[in-house]
Amino acid sequence: MTTLAHRRNTPHELNALICGAPRTPITLTDEHRRSLSARFRAVASDTHRRLDAWIVERAGKTSTGFQWSPATARRVLATGALRRSARHQGLSLIEAINDEIGDQLARSTSGFARRGSLGDWLSGLSATGIALVTAEAANWAIQSAEIAEWVSCPWRFAASDAYYDVARARTTLRGRRDLEVELDESRVILRLRAGSPGKSAGPGLRSDLTIEALAHPDGLAPARIIGIWPEAGVCLSVDGTMDDLRSGARDLVRTAVVQRRSEGARAA
Amino acid sequence: MADVTSAAGMRSILEDGIFEVLGETRPVSSLVIRASSLRHQSSVADISLAPLSRVRGILVNQVLRLLSIGAHVVSPFDEALGAWRLEVVRSELVDFVDQLDGDERARLETDVTAHAVTLMRSLGDLPGSWRPRTAVRATQHLCSNAVILRDIIDLMVGTTSSEVASVALFDVTTSPLGEGAERAMRYHALVQTLRTSVVPLRTSCFSTATGEMWSLDVDTDILVRSTYEVLDAIERLWREQ
Repeated sequence: MTTLAHRRNTPHELNALICGAPRTPITLTDEHRRSLSARFRAVASDTHRRLDAWIVERAGKTSTGFQWSPATARRVLATGALRRSARHQGLSLIEAINDEIGDQLARSTSGFARRGSLGDWLSGLSATGIALVTAEAANWAIQSAEIAEWVSCPWRFAASDAYYDVARARTTLRGRRDLEVELDESRVILRLRAGSPGKSAGPGLRSDLTIEALAHPDGLAPARIIGIWPEAGVCLSVDGTMDDLRSGARDLVRTAVVQRRSEGARAA
Repeated sequence: MADVTSAAGMRSILEDGIFEVLGETRPVSSLVIRASSLRHQSSVADISLAPLSRVRGILVNQVLRLLSIGAHVVSPFDEALGAWRLEVVRSELVDFVDQLDGDERARLETDVTAHAVTLMRSLGDLPGSWRPRTAVRATQHLCSNAVILRDIIDLMVGTTSSEVASVALFDVTTSPLGEGAERAMRYHALVQTLRTSVVPLRTSCFSTATGEMWSLDVDTDILVRSTYEVLDAIERLWREQ
């Protein structure tokens, strides 16, 4: 049975979801990891597979080629700026975003940015383009900071998204996380998304939960994962129960199967 | 103190009102309400809906986005057009601008520059501590998706995380202010209240055509009035369907 819950995105509801998270965390063992690896290995792939909640929500449909735009660049820049402003007291969010962009440009100028990377794209923009990217990143950063300020328990901005390479299955799983809230013996993960949650938002959230548990060195699942859609003013949550972790893993494997089938159909 | 209790009441009025309008039947596709649905109430063609006026409005808004982060705008038309093209690769309006001849393009440039200069002179500098964000989107699904309220707030300052009301909503229009603008101001306040459950402090509308600014302190009366205006718009849309 799933523990998916739907709430309004208000400080009171958000704190109730965080404080009401189950206190006994579930741990994924090596046996679970081996079993998942075997399932992924059974789905052959010609290329290295990358799966995340977005692909799960789209039922494995491959999207058109990725392109940098102010909308796709905002989260990377905003989360970097939030971490930077947390480290340097007195640094405003817009200054922190400017510093982040400056770092990306410096990387590109010194030849460290790969072709197609964010730094490479930014270096080709005009001053106006950079200003628009800054405005878009500022929206995301301010929104994230506001939600973080609502949280009454100790929290920190996530250092990065969660990544897990499935052993011998040429598969990398990426779980999105923006804020980590520390409880006594467990943690709650907050993830922000633009737009409104669709019908498949639950499976997407469960996939992020599973990847987060797999990426933890001890396999410790978060007590709860909360997906926030500030534009729609709603949040969904899923508890780190074994049922939900299994369900998340099943959705990821199913997505790999669908991708394999569509690869096969394209080849034929 | 910030009002965090009115949102539930507004939602109930809307949900009950929508049920009275739609009854048991559900529209084939969701009825979508936007600020423009309230701004233009009659079916008479409005000049502000013409492509040229819409492009002008979009470009002036791009100037606002650049100003909000402290960018120094020297050539408003070119910079706004560059910013818009970066956001929207292909659309009907982009094609429309591309096919303008030299004279029409020059007229649009002069027009946009005039509106942008009015905006720049009136806006001044926005301190980072006000947390300015632009083109803030909001969506509210009501009555199991039968009705969707959509909104984009041109500029928002303040925060919902403080105990006192501090959020101010700012709408920029290139048309002269009128009754429609007032309804749009109220609509922005209503959708923001439903989205965050915190009533904003103030809602304002600035006309770059006249340099006039209207401002309303948001209270329950304004929100209730807006819910009835939204219900009227839903009824009109439903009848048209």
